[in-house]
Amino acid sequence: MAVSDNRPFFLNLVKIRLPVTGFVSIFHRISGLLLFLAIPFSVYLLDISLQGEAGFNEAAETLNIPIIKLACVILLWSILHHLIAGIRFLLTDFDIGLEKQQATLYAWIVFILEAILFIWLTVKVFL
Amino acid sequence: MANGEGVLMSSPGLQGLRPWIIQRVSAVFIGVFILYVFIVFLIDNPLNASDWREWVSTPYNNILLGLFLIGVLWHAWIGVRDIILDYIPNVVGRLLVLTLVGCTLIGSGLWGFKALFMVFIK
Repeated sequence: MAVSDNRPFFLNLVKIRLPVTGFVSIFHRISGLLLFLAIPFSVYLLDISLQGEAGFNEAAETLNIPIIKLACVILLWSILHHLIAGIRFLLTDFDIGLEKQQATLYAWIVFILEAILFIWLTVKVFL
Repeated sequence: MANGEGVLMSSPGLQGLRPWIIQRVSAVFIGVFILYVFIVFLIDNPLNASDWREWVSTPYNNILLGLFLIGVLWHAWIGVRDIILDYIPNVVGRLLVLTLVGCTLIGSGLWGFKALFMVFIK
């Protein structure tokens, strides 16, 4: 296939314009990677939290360190987005919401739902 | 196809229908389990050392946590592997990062199982 050489070649992420469905996808990937990175630390917390009163308190204190708390808020968003976008992708597997208009609507539902849950849980757990 | 890409792309377990199905089955299990834990914490919050330990040492919770751990690690392996295959074209780089990720997941799994098992001993 002949292609002209002067076509734009944007790897500049700021210049890439994604539709809202595209943001559901890329954030699904980013949140998944963040959750993967959190696995060893989560297992560490599980381990010490089960080692009596002292270990449990140590885990609780660790979670109270401001930077860790911030990481937990980001991980809360990651779980919510990964879960809700994941459910949307499972619907895609069953051919639900493939038309452009419907797909856009589903993408907005994902973001609105996760925003509501994120605000509610952040206030409930972290504030 | 980039040079040597076939080596990694055709390895069993790295592509095809099987990981696709595992990814979805594990996703459903993880989702349902998170919902279960969420409801438990909403209704009867086990947020002190002895309650938390008791909750984890309840046999069905312990088994579900073990299955959850396997599900999460397997799900993470398939997901991160896809990311690596998408963004690291170099074969040596791929093998290196895949190995690192694999070791991290296996290590986390062994550590997690140790933690889940020890509640019955000490």
